[in-house]
Amino acid sequence: MSNKNKITAKQVSVFYGSKQALFDVDLNIAEKEVTALIGPSGCGKSTFIRCLNRMNDVIDICKVEGNIEIDGQDIYDNSVDVVQLREKVGMVFQKPNPFPKSIYENISYGPNIHGIAKDKTHMDEIVETSLKRAALWDEVKDRLDQPGTGLSGGQQQRLCIARAISINPEVILMDEPCSALDPIATAKIESLIDELKSLYTIAIVTHSMAQAARVSQHTGFFHLGKLIEFDSTEKIFKNPEDKMTQDYITGRFG
Amino acid sequence: MSEHIVKSYDEQLNILKNTIAKMGSLAEKQIKDATEAAIKQDQEFADKIVGKDDRIDDLEKSIEEQVVNLLTMRQPLAIDLRETVSAMKISSDLERIGDLSKNIAKRSRYLDKNIGHEINKNFSLVSEKVQKSVKTVLDAFLNRDTKLAEQVWNADQEIDRLVDICMNSILKCIEEKKDAAAPFSQLMFMSKNLERIGDHATNIAETVYFLVSGKYIEGDRPKGESGIVSGQ
Repeated sequence: MSNKNKITAKQVSVFYGSKQALFDVDLNIAEKEVTALIGPSGCGKSTFIRCLNRMNDVIDICKVEGNIEIDGQDIYDNSVDVVQLREKVGMVFQKPNPFPKSIYENISYGPNIHGIAKDKTHMDEIVETSLKRAALWDEVKDRLDQPGTGLSGGQQQRLCIARAISINPEVILMDEPCSALDPIATAKIESLIDELKSLYTIAIVTHSMAQAARVSQHTGFFHLGKLIEFDSTEKIFKNPEDKMTQDYITGRFG
Repeated sequence: MSEHIVKSYDEQLNILKNTIAKMGSLAEKQIKDATEAAIKQDQEFADKIVGKDDRIDDLEKSIEEQVVNLLTMRQPLAIDLRETVSAMKISSDLERIGDLSKNIAKRSRYLDKNIGHEINKNFSLVSEKVQKSVKTVLDAFLNRDTKLAEQVWNADQEIDRLVDICMNSILKCIEEKKDAAAPFSQLMFMSKNLERIGDHATNIAETVYFLVSGKYIEGDRPKGESGIVSGQ
């Protein structure tokens, strides 16, 4: 049984100048579940999730067509404040990118600019909760004033997740969050994703089939800008309908 | 099925498939030979068959090892995963078929002249049907043919019916020739072994169907209505 849809995308096409990167994608993302997007490099999966918090807006030549709604609200409507949208839809990238500031400031930065914390005590609470939810608190609680960039890669990535969580988002987008991490750090992030899905809706782009199979409940396979198949993760990895999906996940592609 | 980008992966899956084919043909031959040893009451031949079962057991171990290696090294998915898991299941059915055939050969040592007629009549007919099922299901496996698999699945009912006739006939013989109860009882067990081999062929048919389609054969397994075989 899947949860109700948090995000609905209808007929989404994306153009970079004259080059079309996505073709009429219809894809729904269920609330408080993990949805994985897989496919070869350049297939459009990252382009797709970047539409969900309008990250593509920063690229001048990028044009998005179609309809994307979060909780029934068209996120490309003129009335939508992009800053507020990104408060609701956080993002974690492939390479950990902490601010060149202390661990504490990495977390407090977002709540500060969004005016979320009432006072210093409240901010301390937010920092602690965010780091705890990102399973990093025990490792850094005694050195919150140290630079975030001094942490290990896996810790930096969890710091970025904590930073995304600190402003109470509803959706977290992850673009290959473990591709720069070793297996232990990867396992920690995956365990974290399992926990976070009870609180947040998560969409993850990954090149690891095994990771998609382990962490997600639904999986979409993209190829050449088209969504080829979307189904429960179990179905996709056990017995996909489309031959192209099967060829890709079993390593027969190309 | 198109080939994997990594060629050695294809090679591993091919070796696995060939090992099953080899194991299957050995098991098939064991049923045929055991039946022949029983009909001819050839003790020496029976001993040979008993000795050959080790080869089948060795192949089962080889398949198990290959499957564990594939799971560890390749993390197979979708069709590859079904192929890998199915190999393990089929090999264990084939191993049982080997054991049951060996047991037929063993028991054939205790037959005597009293049962010549009975064995020629019903037992050999059941054996033929069972051999056909095993052969067909191996073809289904090698050719990835769900139709053939279904055919075997449906044929088991007929095997059960014939085994029932065979057993009832043996029972009658025991009643009539009380001093030959011992060899006839052996023949009774041997017939039951054939019936069990038929069941394993049916298991393999289900596995092949799942391997190819990713789905289970629909409906309940066809069964004989009543009689000695079903115990009803």
